[in-house]
Amino acid sequence: MAKLMSLLWGAGSPPCWRVMITLEEKKLQGYKRKLLSFEKGEHKSQEVLEVNPRGQLPAFKHGDIILNESCATCLYLENQFKSQGIKLIPDSADDQAAMYQHMMEGLALTDKLNSVIYYDCSVPEEERHDFAVKRNKEALTAELKLWEGYLENVAAGSYLAGAFSLADVIVFPSIACAFRFGLSVGRYPKLAKYYSLLKNRASIKTTWPPHWVASPQGYDILKDL
Amino acid sequence: MAKDMTLLWGSGSPPCWRIMIALEEKNLQGYNQKQLYFEKGEHKSKEVMEINPRGQLPAFKCGDKIINESCGVCFFLESKYKSQGTKLIPDCDAEQALMFQRVFEVNTFGDKMGNVIYYNWKVPEGERHDSAIKRNKEALTAEVKLWEGYLQKTSGGFLAGKNFSLADVIVFPAIAYLYRFGLSEERYPKLTEYYKNLMNRPSIKATWPPTWKETPGQDILKDI
Repeated sequence: MAKLMSLLWGAGSPPCWRVMITLEEKKLQGYKRKLLSFEKGEHKSQEVLEVNPRGQLPAFKHGDIILNESCATCLYLENQFKSQGIKLIPDSADDQAAMYQHMMEGLALTDKLNSVIYYDCSVPEEERHDFAVKRNKEALTAELKLWEGYLENVAAGSYLAGAFSLADVIVFPSIACAFRFGLSVGRYPKLAKYYSLLKNRASIKTTWPPHWVASPQGYDILKDL
Repeated sequence: MAKDMTLLWGSGSPPCWRIMIALEEKNLQGYNQKQLYFEKGEHKSKEVMEINPRGQLPAFKCGDKIINESCGVCFFLESKYKSQGTKLIPDCDAEQALMFQRVFEVNTFGDKMGNVIYYNWKVPEGERHDSAIKRNKEALTAEVKLWEGYLQKTSGGFLAGKNFSLADVIVFPAIAYLYRFGLSEERYPKLTEYYKNLMNRPSIKATWPPTWKETPGQDILKDI
């Protein structure tokens, strides 16, 4: 099972983290894994390109099967290992509705976070504009307020779609990133509660980005949002 | 049932089209639907905002359940109506994995396409750069080549292998969009073969964007 699986991953990357949380939840510990460095450009190495021609992490293999899109990997693992570990997709289709909705919306949240946090990495210097930075921050603020609203009734055991589910697997890493990069706990109390409820969940604690443990002090790019 | 479903949609929008294809494939014709017009800003109307606070189409309700993310709707419909219509999630592990993989690659595909086709709409005049336009075109070209390669390597005629699946439901509209905006048929033979084969599939034919039948396409992508 897990021994036939291998994961190439980068620390702090929400897509990589999603896959690692899922593997823990499905009791698939023991998979081969290799930590690579984005800063050293290792995501563009031959080793990654052989698994993922896009030169991106995560790059995941299960035997001959390759899955490089984190949501795809999580859905595949839940389907293949439905009967072990935690159930990550509710049984009834009606309960699944909220889960699928928030799972997919999670990708918009990640994009908007990236457009602010990694603006300078993705936009060449001569093309950067203060107006664009401002617009990206406004879009991210609106997005975060939406999630603050979704989590109006957050409590232990009551997360994005009720019980812990793939929606939380997909979204939590981005929320954790937001706080790592300085999001105000005071201004987003529901998000902060969600974050503090889940950060001690076993699968999440075990897979917490190692450099975040080593240096708990993050950044403050998002402190004014 | 279909009568408990409502879809607000815009013609030509790949996310809207995906849901309509899925509904046909699952024999769920007869759902309530209303065509809205992006050009008139109707996606930001109160009617839409009440279902989708993001002011985007599609906006979809099944009973009191709301799902506005097109991939989410497709997975939901396949789960709820597993036993009717076409099976859209393959049983075979390898095909299933490939289906999931291709489904989620559609997001970056759509983004790159949008960055070229809608550059002037997305980027205010004072912020436009020839270097960005060039880079966006190169990124889209690389993306289209990747999909051409996928179809070369995968035998069976569909994106995940020999069975029509959610990968085709979700990705075909984006591929059709490329041709609507002038992609060269000769330069990408496998994509073209796929496009021409699937355009005759009943669920796709029945839901072909009405505005595409009424007006000619554009040639923004002819050099891709």
